Amino acid sequence: MKKNLLNKYSLFAQDTFVQPQSKMIGIKKAASNPILHYIIFGVIIMVVLYMAVQLKVLPYSWYGGIIYTAAYSISSIGFCLLMGYSGLASLGTGGFIGIGCYAVYYVTALSGLPFIVSVIAAIVIAAVIGVIVGFISLRIESIYLVILTLGLSEILRNIYMSLSDSINIGTIKIFGSALKTADVMYVIIPVLIIIMIITHNIIVSPTGRAMLAMKNSTAAAQAMGISLLKYRLMAFIICTIYAAISGSMLILRSGAATASSGTSFYALITSLNILAAVIIGGYKSIWGAVFGTFVMYGLNSTILQSIPFFTENPALITIISGVLVIVVVMFYPGGLAQLLQNLKFTFAKWKKKIREDKYGKDIG
Amino acid sequence: MGYFLDTLIDSSMPMCVTALVTMAITLIFKTSFTTNFAQGVISAFGAYVASTLFAKMGMPVFVAVPISVIASMTIAVLVDVVLFRKGRYVNAIGKQIITMGLISVIVSVIPLIFTDLSYQAINFISGNFTFYVGDYNVTFSKNALVGIIITVIVLVLLFVLLRYSKWGLSVRATASNEYVAGMMGVNTHVVTAVSWGIAGALGALAACLNSAGNAEIGVYFMTEYQVTAFLAGIVGGFATFHGPVIIALCIPLMTNLISWFGNGVISSITGDMQLGASIANWSTTIIYVIALIIIFFKPNGLFGKKVEKKV
Repeated sequence: MKKNLLNKYSLFAQDTFVQPQSKMIGIKKAASNPILHYIIFGVIIMVVLYMAVQLKVLPYSWYGGIIYTAAYSISSIGFCLLMGYSGLASLGTGGFIGIGCYAVYYVTALSGLPFIVSVIAAIVIAAVIGVIVGFISLRIESIYLVILTLGLSEILRNIYMSLSDSINIGTIKIFGSALKTADVMYVIIPVLIIIMIITHNIIVSPTGRAMLAMKNSTAAAQAMGISLLKYRLMAFIICTIYAAISGSMLILRSGAATASSGTSFYALITSLNILAAVIIGGYKSIWGAVFGTFVMYGLNSTILQSIPFFTENPALITIISGVLVIVVVMFYPGGLAQLLQNLKFTFAKWKKKIREDKYGKDIG
Repeated sequence: MGYFLDTLIDSSMPMCVTALVTMAITLIFKTSFTTNFAQGVISAFGAYVASTLFAKMGMPVFVAVPISVIASMTIAVLVDVVLFRKGRYVNAIGKQIITMGLISVIVSVIPLIFTDLSYQAINFISGNFTFYVGDYNVTFSKNALVGIIITVIVLVLLFVLLRYSKWGLSVRATASNEYVAGMMGVNTHVVTAVSWGIAGALGALAACLNSAGNAEIGVYFMTEYQVTAFLAGIVGGFATFHGPVIIALCIPLMTNLISWFGNGVISSITGDMQLGASIANWSTTIIYVIALIIIFFKPNGLFGKKVEKKV
């Protein structure tokens, strides 16, 4: 039992406990480790993007699309954990993102402390707010909670507007060197990968299972000895911390933000877009959350803008993303992750059928 | 005293608009069991129709507004009939997300239909009533008077219908349990569709009132009222119809009264204009915090009833 658990948590744990029978099986096992997938994914994205833009295969605007997707993905993953695994919903993401933005502005841009200090400050403030929302979530549920977090987000936005309506962080030094716009990628994508790995470990750990139990039935979960207080607080704290980290990454990329504008990071529209991203991608899958975020935030500046039809009719882009959300909710409640799984099953069926046709039924 | 009266008069229009939007949100919540996030943009669509007919085509305002009401009503009914009913696995959260998807669709469709977005808004009657209280010059726009009259008529009519008509009875039955209401012979599909239609109509009316006399309208200009309406619904308790509407009337009034308290009272007592102005700036935040505190101690709302849940 202990061996199994350790296998799940650590990166190369298989090698220390199980001697591979042959080299091939060992490699296969290591390759099927989901944590490795995240790392490979991140490295590939960074290398391919750098090479492709340098060789002028892809336009420069891809940097923006991918970086924004990565930064927003962090809050999507947190939301995924909150909604898919804990069964709680919130529309406060926009307000929580602002915590990160303003922490960077006040701690790093104005006081001159290192960037990492501002991220830690954002995490601490976000944790405090997460505790508050978590306590509220014990008394109020479902749609009521959604609207309440919406109100909280509006309070935060009002506070931001009163503090300093528009912020500009200027150039920020990380590890002693000032970053150019494209180099922000080398900070944001590793952070995303770390977040993905942490989230994966939370999901497969007892905490994740307790959250899932709580989602399916609060009464049954309590009967099994799961403390609602503990896990709801935990879910909200993780969600707000992720959103705050995502906010500090976003402000690192954009450099400036205005609280009063309707399309800023802290506006209602961000919360709605993150929710839509998680729904499109599939609310129980980390990959789904990242892919959904790409559909909402990256698709426009990467793929669609290189198609002349869409550059002529920019309004169609938002219409298509809206229609996509509606269609996915109406016909694929599990999101694109479920669609992918269905395709996998169909593919396996076909494979089996072809084999049966070739070799007869017994071998099947 | 004059400034106080001015504050009350200034709050009258936001109060009317918020009350109408809240009524729409409550109707949809009670019959479809979801919050309609697209209410704001559906209303904005109505406002665009009205101002196109009024400012561009020169129609009289009492023709333009009913047409815009019908336009918003059609969209709202279509949302229910086409999107909600046809969805295979749509639950409450799913419905919410469908309305969010609608936001991005409608927001992009509006500039395609109404190419010029900087419209001149509609105007019921131009001109103001002015009178003096002491030295203070109080102005009361005639648009606001028309708005108050329309709102009172519409809300009273709706409450009477909900209380005494057969339609009202079927709405209340659907609200308490859709399934059982269906078994008792209530055509819940029709009830839901009609409620959506009324909600759309109320939204368009609210948007017209909000835009009347103002210089400009925008795609998101009703979103603020929609958020206030959600909050009013929660604070008042969605269990009743009158609870949310009463709170909706209170929220803009209280916000403006806090501004008055800051700018008028605190400034004149302490002589510190800066302090008063900063209190006025925080008025919305103060209202939201008060609302959150109320919800924390009364999760079912001020007028709500506790629903016993069985495992």
